[in-house]
Amino acid sequence: MPTRLPLLICLVSGVVMFLQYFSRHPVAKLIYQTVTNDWWQVIFAFTLIVGVAGFIKITLRKISQKKDRTYALIALGGLLLMPILALIGGTNIESPFQWAFENLLAPMQATVFSLLAFFVASASFRGFRARSIPAAILLGTALLVLVGRLPIAEHISEYIPDLTFWIKNYPSMAARRAILIGIGLGSMTTALRVILGIERTYLSGK
Amino acid sequence: MDIGVIIAGILTLAIYTFLYKDNPIYRAAESLLIGLAMGYVLVIYWQTAFMDRIFSPLLNENDWWVLIPLILGLLMFSRFSRKYSWLSRIPIALMIGAGAGVAIPAMLYARTLKQISASVMPLITESGGFNFEALVVIVGLLSTLTYFYFSREHKGIIGKVAKLGTYFLMIFFGATFGYTVMSRMSTFIGRIDFLLSDFLHIIK
Amino acid sequence: MSKDKIRWIIFAGLFLFVTLAYTIDIKMVSSPSYEVQKSFDYIESLPEGTILMISFDHEASSLPEVQPISLVMIRHAFRNNLKIVGLSLFAEGTAIGYRTLNKIAAEYDKQYGVDYVFLGFKPQHIAAILGMGESIYDVFPRDYLGNQTDTIPIMIGVVNYDNIEMVISITDGDRAVQWIEYAGPRYDQKVMTGLTAAMITSYDPYLSSGQLFSVVGGLKGAAEYENLYGEVGKGNRGMPAQTVAHLYLIVMIIIGNIIYFRNRKRQGRSS
Repeated sequence: MPTRLPLLICLVSGVVMFLQYFSRHPVAKLIYQTVTNDWWQVIFAFTLIVGVAGFIKITLRKISQKKDRTYALIALGGLLLMPILALIGGTNIESPFQWAFENLLAPMQATVFSLLAFFVASASFRGFRARSIPAAILLGTALLVLVGRLPIAEHISEYIPDLTFWIKNYPSMAARRAILIGIGLGSMTTALRVILGIERTYLSGK
Repeated sequence: MDIGVIIAGILTLAIYTFLYKDNPIYRAAESLLIGLAMGYVLVIYWQTAFMDRIFSPLLNENDWWVLIPLILGLLMFSRFSRKYSWLSRIPIALMIGAGAGVAIPAMLYARTLKQISASVMPLITESGGFNFEALVVIVGLLSTLTYFYFSREHKGIIGKVAKLGTYFLMIFFGATFGYTVMSRMSTFIGRIDFLLSDFLHIIK
Repeated sequence: MSKDKIRWIIFAGLFLFVTLAYTIDIKMVSSPSYEVQKSFDYIESLPEGTILMISFDHEASSLPEVQPISLVMIRHAFRNNLKIVGLSLFAEGTAIGYRTLNKIAAEYDKQYGVDYVFLGFKPQHIAAILGMGESIYDVFPRDYLGNQTDTIPIMIGVVNYDNIEMVISITDGDRAVQWIEYAGPRYDQKVMTGLTAAMITSYDPYLSSGQLFSVVGGLKGAAEYENLYGEVGKGNRGMPAQTVAHLYLIVMIIIGNIIYFRNRKRQGRSS
C-alpha cells in the first residue's frame, strides 16, 4: 500500500494528463483544468507550507538548544513579521507589508546577489587561465563578449559588436541547442520512467 | 530622509561587510533575510492559493469539490509522522505524474522537434550564395551531440568530432561567462545607484 | 602577499572604480541590437487598446538588472495607450509587479482596472501557464486587490490567450522557457522576454527557432531600449560604470594570465 498506491496514482495521473493533450473534448478540458488549476496548485502550495513548518521546527530546536540562538530568533522574527504586517494593514501599495518588502527584503536580496560581482572578479584573476586550447577558446570568447557588449565597442571597431553577435547567434547557439535537445530527450525519458514506475526517487527510492 | 531608505542602506552595508570576512553583522542580516523571505512567500501563498483556491470557493460558493485538493494538501503534513509519512507520497505522486504527463508532449515538440527542425537550414541560398552560418550551426550541433554520446568510446573519427564539440561548448561557456559577468556587474551597479543616490544623496 | 589580501585588493578596486564611474554622468550612446530594435518596433506598431500580458517572473535579487527593462517597456506601452494585464509566476515578483505597474501608471494617468490590472501570483507556474490557455478567470478568479476578475473592465472579454497579443516575461531564470514551451505550441501564444544578461545565451536556440519573438537583455538591453524610447533611465545611467567594470575584469584576467605564464616559464626553466 505505501508504495503501490502512489505508483498507481502516478501512472493514472500521468497517462490521463498525457492523453488529454490530444483531445479538445470538454470532458478532457475539464479534467485538465481541475488537475492543473485546482489540485496541482493547492498541493504545491501545501508543499511550501510544509517547508516553512520544517524551518520553524529546526529554528525552534536551535533556540531551545541555545545554538546560534540570536540568529535563529532574528530569522523567526523576520518570518513572523511579514504575516503580522499583512494582517494589520493588508498587502496594498501603501501597506506596511509592501513597505517591509521594499525597504527590508528587496534591498538585502539584491545586495546578497551583487556580492557575486566581487567573487566573479576574484575568480577571473585567480582561475581564468589559458592552460589549454579549449581553455583559450573559452577565455577568448569571454573577452570578446566583455568588449563587444560595451557601449564603446562600436567606436573601437564596428566589427567587434558584429563578431560578438555572430558568435552568440551561431557557434554558441549551436552548442546550447545540443544541450537543450539532450535535456529534452532526457526529460522525456525521465517523465516516461516516472509514469511507468521505473523511476521512484520521489518515493525515497522504494 | 525616509526611514525606510536609512534602514535599507544600513542593511545593504551590513551585507557588504561579508566582503571583508564572515562576521556577526552579516550573519544577523542574513538570518533576517531568510526569515523575511519565508514570511513574504507565506503571505503570498496564503492569499493566492489558500484564499482563492480553497476558502473563497468553499465559503462563498459552497464548492465542496475543493475538499479534494485540501485533503491531498493536508496529507503533506504526514511527513512529520514516522508511521504515516507514506501518505504524503499520494499528493506527491499525483503532482509528479501529472507533471510528467504534461511535460512529454511539450518536451517532444517545443524542446526537441522544433530545435532539430530549426537546425536544418539550406546551405545554398536563393541567390546561389553559400550559407556559412547554416554549416556552422549543423556542425556545431552534431559535434556537440557527439561529445555527449557516451555509448561508444571517443576514439578515431568519433573522438575527433567530439573534440570539435568541446570547442563549440567552450565558445558557449565563454559567451555565457561574458554575459554572466555583465549581469553580476549590473546588479552591483544597481546597489551602488541606491547607495549613492537614495541613501547618501551624493548624486541625483 | 596572502590570498586574503589579494582578494581584498581586487574587491576594493572593483568597489572604487565602479563607484567613481557611477558618479560620471555621461550618456554613452550605442546602436541598438537587432533584438532590442525588433522588440521596440513591435510594441510601437501595435494599435491603441491592444492587450499585453506582462509577467514579472523574477526575484528581488535581480531587480537592479531587470527593473530598468520593465520600466521602459511599460512606459512605452502606456505612452502608446496599450493595455497591460500584469501578473507574476514568482512569489517575489508579486510585490515588484504591483508596485512597478502602479508607479508607471501614475506617470501616465492610467486607471487601474481600465488601462491595466494586476492579477497577482499563482503557485506552480506550469499549471498557471497551461490553465490560462483555457481560462484566465479560472486561474485568477480575483485580481491582486480581491476584485472579481471577470467584472474588471479591462478583463471583460479577455478570456484566454486568444485575447492577448503578446506575453512579455520579465525574468531572471527559466520562467520564459515555460511560457515558450507550454503557452507557445499548445495555444500559439507569442512570447517576448526581458531578462538578465546571464540568461541570454540560454534563450538563443528559442530565438533562432522563432519560438521566442525577441529579447531585451540586461542593463545594456535596457539602455538600448531607453535610447529608442527617448529617455535616460537607469539603463543608460549605468553604462559608464558597466564599461569600467568590464574593463576592470578584462585587466584582472590579463594580469592573472601574465602571472600564470611567467610562473610556468620559470618552472620550466628550473626543471
